[in-house]
Amino acid sequence: MGRVKIARKSTFIDMTAMSDVTVLLLTFFMLTSTFLAKEPTQVITPASVSEEKVQETNFVQVLVSPEGKVWLTMNNDTSSAWSNEKMRMALLDKAAEIYNESHKNKLSFTPQQKYAFSKLGSFGVPLAQMGEFLNLANEPEGTTKMDKWLQGEDPNHVTGIPISWNKDEGNPNEFQIWMKAMRQTENENLAAAIKDGTGVAIKADQNTAFDVVHMVMDNLQTIRMNKFTLLTSLKAGE
Amino acid sequence: MAIRVDFTPMVDMNMLLITFFMLCTTMIKSQTLNIALPTNEKVDNVENMSQASADDAVTIILDAKRKTGSLAVDTVNGKVVNEVYYYFGKPGGDEGMIGAGGQINSANNNIQRSEFLTDEVNGSARSSRGIRKIIQDRNKEVLVEIEKLKQQFRDGKIDQEKYDELAKEVRRNENLKKPVIIIKSTPEASYGALVEILDEMQINSISKYQIDNMTRADSVMLIDYQNRHHGE
Repeated sequence: MGRVKIARKSTFIDMTAMSDVTVLLLTFFMLTSTFLAKEPTQVITPASVSEEKVQETNFVQVLVSPEGKVWLTMNNDTSSAWSNEKMRMALLDKAAEIYNESHKNKLSFTPQQKYAFSKLGSFGVPLAQMGEFLNLANEPEGTTKMDKWLQGEDPNHVTGIPISWNKDEGNPNEFQIWMKAMRQTENENLAAAIKDGTGVAIKADQNTAFDVVHMVMDNLQTIRMNKFTLLTSLKAGE
Repeated sequence: MAIRVDFTPMVDMNMLLITFFMLCTTMIKSQTLNIALPTNEKVDNVENMSQASADDAVTIILDAKRKTGSLAVDTVNGKVVNEVYYYFGKPGGDEGMIGAGGQINSANNNIQRSEFLTDEVNGSARSSRGIRKIIQDRNKEVLVEIEKLKQQFRDGKIDQEKYDELAKEVRRNENLKKPVIIIKSTPEASYGALVEILDEMQINSISKYQIDNMTRADSVMLIDYQNRHHGE
C-alpha cells in the first residue's frame, strides 16, 4: 500500500498585511483622539434632548462639584496670537488687578509663577493662596501636589474658587473677579463669545442641588453675564 | 534566498496601542443647552417688563421629595427624588393664597402635582403623560401648526432649512394662544430636574419661558399642598 504523502507546509503566516491594517487603525485613533482633560472632580452631566454640540474654542468652563466648589478652565483659540498659555498669563494679571482694587493685601506674581499658571488646565484656589500654589510647580513632584490640592485631598489647603451669594457688582467675590477678568482679556473672540452666550459653559452633576447651581448662575447674572450654556449629555430614545 | 521578517510581535504591539487609544478617546462630545436669564438689576421702567397675563401664565415648581410630615428631604440611594408641581395663573387664584389678615386660605390653593414621564408608546401611537401632557394641552395651537409643518417635511415638500424657519415663525406667532411658563425651583431639587424641565420646553415648542425665584406665596402653597397630601 502506498501511503498518501501529505506535503509538509510551514505554519508561518505572513503578518505583513495584518500589520498594515493595525498601523492604519492606530493612525486613525491617534489622529482623532482628544484626551479627557484632567479635572478636579468627576461629574455626570444631566441628559438632555438638545443636540447642539459643545463649543471647542473660546469658552470658559465652570465646573461645579455637588458640594458647591467651583473650578474654571479657559479654552482659547488655537491661533498663536491667543494661545492658551499666553491668555492664561494675561488672565492672571487681570484677575490680580481687579482683586487689588478691593483688597488691602495686594497681589503680584513673579514671572515663574505666571509661567506655572499658563501651564494649568483647570484651576481653582483662593487668590490669596495662588502664589503658594504656583510655587509648588518648581518643587519635585510638584504637579502631583498641585493635583492633590485641586482635588481637595490636601488637608492643609482648601480647593475651589471662593464663591458666595453676592448681588453687588461693585464688590465682586473671587469667582466674579475671575469671570470679569475673562471678559477683559485681549482675546476679542472670547469676549464676543461671552456676550452672545456661548462663552460660558456650566458643567455640573445631575444630582447637584439646584441651590448650588443657582448660586453660580446668580453670580454670573450679577456681573451681567446672563447668557450661558449648560453642558449636558445626549438623551437616548426621545 | 528570501528574507522573511516575522511581523507577529509588531501586530501584537499595535493591537495594544489601538486598545489604549480606543479606551482613552472620547468619541461622543457633550451637548449644550443655551439659556438666557434676566439681569439682576432692578428694572426701573415697569412698562418695559414683559408681564405675562394671568391667563397664559403657567408656573412650574420643582421640588425634592420630602419625608412624610416634615421638610427633610427623602433620598433613595443617596439621591433626591424630584417632584414637579404646577399652577395656572396667579398663586391662589384671584382671591390669593394669603388673606388680608395674613391667614392662609387653603381653599384657594390651586397648586397641583405632576410627574416627569416619557411618552407612552402603543404601536405607532405616542401619547404624552405627566407634566408634558399638561404643557402640551396649554400649547395646543402652536403644536397643531408645528405638526402640519412636520407632515410637509415628511412628505418632502419642504427641506430642513425651510422647516426650521417656518417652525420658528410659528413659535413666535403672536396670533396663536401660547403659555408663558415660569420655572421655579426649591433649593433642594436637583440640577438634573432643571435640565429636564428645560428639555420639556424644547420638546413642546414653548417660546416664552423663564427661570425665576420662589415667592412667599409659592412656598406657602407648596407646603400647604404637601401637608394635605403627605404619604401619597
